[in-house]
Amino acid sequence: MAHSATLPAEQYNYDIVKKFAIMSVVWGLVGMGVGLYIALELAFPLLNLDVPAITFGRFRPVHTTLVIFGFGGNALFATSYYVVQRTCQAPLANPLLAGFTFWGWQAGVGLGIITYMMGITQSREYAEFEWPLDIAITLVWVCYLWIYVQTLRRRNQPHIYVANWFYLAFILATAILHVFNNLAVPVSLTKSYSLFSGVQDAMTQWWYGHNAVGFFLTAAFLGMMYYFVPKQAGRPIYSYRLSIIHFWALIFLYMWAGGHHLHWTSLPDWVSTLSATFSILLLLPSWGGMINGIMTLSGAWDKLRSDPILLFLIVSLSFYGMSTFEGPLMSLKSVNALSHYTDWTIGHVHSGALGWVALMTFGSFYHLIPRLYNTRIYDQKLIYVHFWLATIGIVLYITAMWVAGIGQGLMLRGFDEYGNLAYTFIETVEFLHTPYVWRAIGGACFLAGYLVMVYNIAMTIITARREEAAIEAKLAAKLART
Amino acid sequence: MSESTTKQQAAVQTTGHAWDGDLQEFNNPLPRWWLWSFYVTAVIAVIYWFIYPSWPVGRGWLEGFATITYQVDGKAEESRWNTRAKLLHDLTESHAAQRQREFMGKVAEADFSTISNDPDMLAFIRSVGKGLFGDNCAACHGRGGQGVVGLYPNLADDDWLWGGSLENIQNVITNGRQGFMPAFKETFDPQQLDDVAEYVLSLSGEAPDSIAVERGKALFQGFGGGCYYCHGMDGKGLPSQGAANLTDKIWTIADVDGQKTLEEKKAVVKKLIFNGVQNMRKMPTWKGRLSPTEIKVLAVYVHQLGGGQ
Repeated sequence: MAHSATLPAEQYNYDIVKKFAIMSVVWGLVGMGVGLYIALELAFPLLNLDVPAITFGRFRPVHTTLVIFGFGGNALFATSYYVVQRTCQAPLANPLLAGFTFWGWQAGVGLGIITYMMGITQSREYAEFEWPLDIAITLVWVCYLWIYVQTLRRRNQPHIYVANWFYLAFILATAILHVFNNLAVPVSLTKSYSLFSGVQDAMTQWWYGHNAVGFFLTAAFLGMMYYFVPKQAGRPIYSYRLSIIHFWALIFLYMWAGGHHLHWTSLPDWVSTLSATFSILLLLPSWGGMINGIMTLSGAWDKLRSDPILLFLIVSLSFYGMSTFEGPLMSLKSVNALSHYTDWTIGHVHSGALGWVALMTFGSFYHLIPRLYNTRIYDQKLIYVHFWLATIGIVLYITAMWVAGIGQGLMLRGFDEYGNLAYTFIETVEFLHTPYVWRAIGGACFLAGYLVMVYNIAMTIITARREEAAIEAKLAAKLART
Repeated sequence: MSESTTKQQAAVQTTGHAWDGDLQEFNNPLPRWWLWSFYVTAVIAVIYWFIYPSWPVGRGWLEGFATITYQVDGKAEESRWNTRAKLLHDLTESHAAQRQREFMGKVAEADFSTISNDPDMLAFIRSVGKGLFGDNCAACHGRGGQGVVGLYPNLADDDWLWGGSLENIQNVITNGRQGFMPAFKETFDPQQLDDVAEYVLSLSGEAPDSIAVERGKALFQGFGGGCYYCHGMDGKGLPSQGAANLTDKIWTIADVDGQKTLEEKKAVVKKLIFNGVQNMRKMPTWKGRLSPTEIKVLAVYVHQLGGGQ
């Protein structure tokens, strides 16, 4: 078996990775807390407390921004900076600029949620940042791309490892999406109007929105998967060929599928059809990643019995497979007629966001953080506790949303024997209360698991610091004696 | 199973690359089932393109071979499948649409007495009325038409401010109403206000006879107060003015039922007489928002909610 030489850990820039990882955990905690609160607001609207800043309409983008860009974004910065250094065996290019990407990104996320609570928003889903923040984010992102490419160029390896293809595709695509979707005419510091209008505006927004899912929440996390799954399993990736084919198929096909968010609107029919068919074509390329991840474990299944980190990674891949099957299904016009504007969509997003993105991040962090601090995880058993709380939480969440979404969809189109609508709109809303309560319970389970992880990681870092201090004290004592 | 896959993989070469110490890749071929499934999705996509509007060509687009039928002004039309035609199809040719149109047609042509004597039509009205009422009226009047004391009249009892016949109700829904009572803050001094309130409460037996009631009666029925202009000498109200019947123990604005003592009851009645009813009872007009037949349906539906007259 071929082994490559590795650089000693001191040569890598771990400081920046630590910073991003910690901020990911912090933003994730706040973001999921806000998520639970708005879930409760939907079940018990009284919780609005008549305070505009914390109503559902303003808290919702706070939640999505914190979990996608705060938790997910920081996790991607952390793991990509780690993976690119280790697989290229080169230290990160330009540490100063890397520091700028850290502070810039935190400022963007922080200012973003403050402005949303003040009611300042572009009203574009997942792109609510007003134009000054958009420009700042673009600047940070260009630096990110520069650092990433420069580090790749300095690699001590002839080949570029597959994880880096996915990370690079994510960085490039996100830059393009962000710039084009946010083209706008500013009228004041806090207000701008989109350059596009009508259905073209909607199409641009969903080209962005869908590919934010495709590149930010899928391709990038596949990059994470391609490093941490084989590392944790101690096995080679199942198929190099599969990784090439599904990579190119995925990034080619994703770009076309955004229109399925606009079925049955004023979107031209031909755009609607094409986006539905490209979504069907996306199924197998998506599954390619799942197969490559899961099959990497074949021959090492027994490790699942003793390694809770692998449990996270494998269940994450399973949720990935499930959501990428559900997605093409929902993109069919006939299914979409039922599912659109219902909570089925919310359930689908969360089976991807909680099941795939968050579980993959948790697994990777449990692998990454002890290595960054040169120690062991504080308590292995707590990883199991986290795993079960998270999994039960997700299952409750998505089941509640299937019931809510499919139930409301069927009620909205129910006719009685006279050909009249069987339910008034308000009856379909009343029906949602019970599933909404169950959704909040599922979310609370997930958040409880997250708190266990926060404790475990915090104790790991504290213990590592203590150990380090003890060693240094010993060393100092030894030096004093001589 | 894990043993056999291990053997199988042992036979497969890695690509020979290694990263970060031990990261390697097997060179396994693409799983057959995966590849064939991918081809199948491609075939499905192509079939979809043949059926529905798809690729843009020049200034137009491939229209697809699927056709759809619909009706325009009762005339059957056919076109290539498209979203608008699909909507027209659902609105004109679906089973539900045809069934609803059939009954709606009957209701449109029938007068109120025919409708009231036709159990089939009444059943239809209960069914369609539930949706119409729930989506248009319930926001104010409540799901069961129970109203909100002080704000929106109860439609489920047998007390009607503007008359409870089917024609009355139809008229109110069509044209809307503005409830009005003048304020008496300039007219009555505190003593008189007290007396009138006591008299009003005595009309429904809420207050016992007393000298105050007698004084109030004189004001109510005389030129001093002039209450009888609208409420009538006997206090039974006047539907043409929307003036409430004060003798029936049904209170739609002053929450008399919600108070315990006579003093509290008097306080709410006095407040109402003092301020009058201005800019608070606004029933919008539904003409133009609902079709005449839908309004007819709602009139019958509301009529049978409680005690239509």
